[in-house]
Amino acid sequence: MSNDKFDELMRDAAHTYNPPSEPPLDEMWSAIAPRIRPVRGSTTAVRIWLLAAAMLVIGVGIGRMSTSMRPIGPTSTPTPVRETAGVGAVANDEPYDAATERYLGQTAALLIALPASMKSGQADSQLVNRANELLTTTRLLMDSPAANDASMHSLLEDLELVLVQVVRLQTNHSRTDLDLINQAMEQHDVIPRLRTAAADISAN
Amino acid sequence: MTRTAFAVSSAYQVSEPDLIARVLAGDRVAARELYDAHAPRVYRLAYRLTGDADLAREFTQDTFVRAFGQLDRFRGDSALSTWLHRITVTVVANAMRRVKRFRERETDLEDVHPARSDGASVDPVLRDRLHRAIDALPDAYRTTLIMHDIEGYTHTEIADVLGVAEGTCKSRLSQARAQLRAVLADLAPESGS
Repeated sequence: MSNDKFDELMRDAAHTYNPPSEPPLDEMWSAIAPRIRPVRGSTTAVRIWLLAAAMLVIGVGIGRMSTSMRPIGPTSTPTPVRETAGVGAVANDEPYDAATERYLGQTAALLIALPASMKSGQADSQLVNRANELLTTTRLLMDSPAANDASMHSLLEDLELVLVQVVRLQTNHSRTDLDLINQAMEQHDVIPRLRTAAADISAN
Repeated sequence: MTRTAFAVSSAYQVSEPDLIARVLAGDRVAARELYDAHAPRVYRLAYRLTGDADLAREFTQDTFVRAFGQLDRFRGDSALSTWLHRITVTVVANAMRRVKRFRERETDLEDVHPARSDGASVDPVLRDRLHRAIDALPDAYRTTLIMHDIEGYTHTEIADVLGVAEGTCKSRLSQARAQLRAVLADLAPESGS
């Protein structure tokens, strides 16, 4: 067979070999759309981080609550600063206690507002800005006498992780992630425990 | 091959990274936009490879479901269209193994393909023989031939889609054409070539 003849056959094949029909775009999309899974970079890693951080917050919160509810005695965990500095130090801690109490309340408020805020795109930036501010406060408190208490220091570290994740939701967030955050917080009473921790400080 | 499709996909490439980012952020409208930009070409390729509207539709759907599910893994090393067509070829190749087994059982029942009326200058018998010969090519050769000679992909594009070197792509095309010529050799003299 000549090259010309073969080329002619192949050109013909471009028109006649399995000639595509018009793609049924809408019909295909209606089948595709329900099957699309949430897609987002490092979704799994973020979920694991959030859940781990939430669990840590809960654990430390419980620990802190149980410590603060226990009568101070020989068996209670000593807090180095207060033991060595005495009554004067307690008095000096009062401004930090007030700041910590306010901070814990604001963090609880933010976490409560998280689901509703993330539903509307307009509220996203406000929430993230607030989380950023609280993140700064967290880090300041971690370097302050307020964090001399080991359990409070751990709590602040864990809240720092949570707030970092909230800030990171600015660019990447999905309903699933929010549901997981909410689920974790609801199941483990994170918000009430934060409030209780704030109340403990207030009572002390 | 229509170069129109390339032109269409090129026009979308300007905003494609933004579109991908929006899809990754969960934006369903962006997902539809991305789908609209690429589905016609994916469907076309699937149709050429399968020759069946229902299968082309099914494989196009599977391609996009997979693509959206794995979009976070798309690194932008190649064009999104290349990545999508790679998924398409994989989906079709895997599924067609099952389909071919099924079709082989039916072949005897419908031994004669309907003659197509396009391209009036070509002998219908020769055309039919060619189509059967393309169908009978090994998958790698057939895919390469369809993509290059029928759909108009470049060797570079085919090499990207199939994950082979351009040289391999050219070699496969050459082999495919040689096999087709061999199959048609006995008919060509009768057709007056």
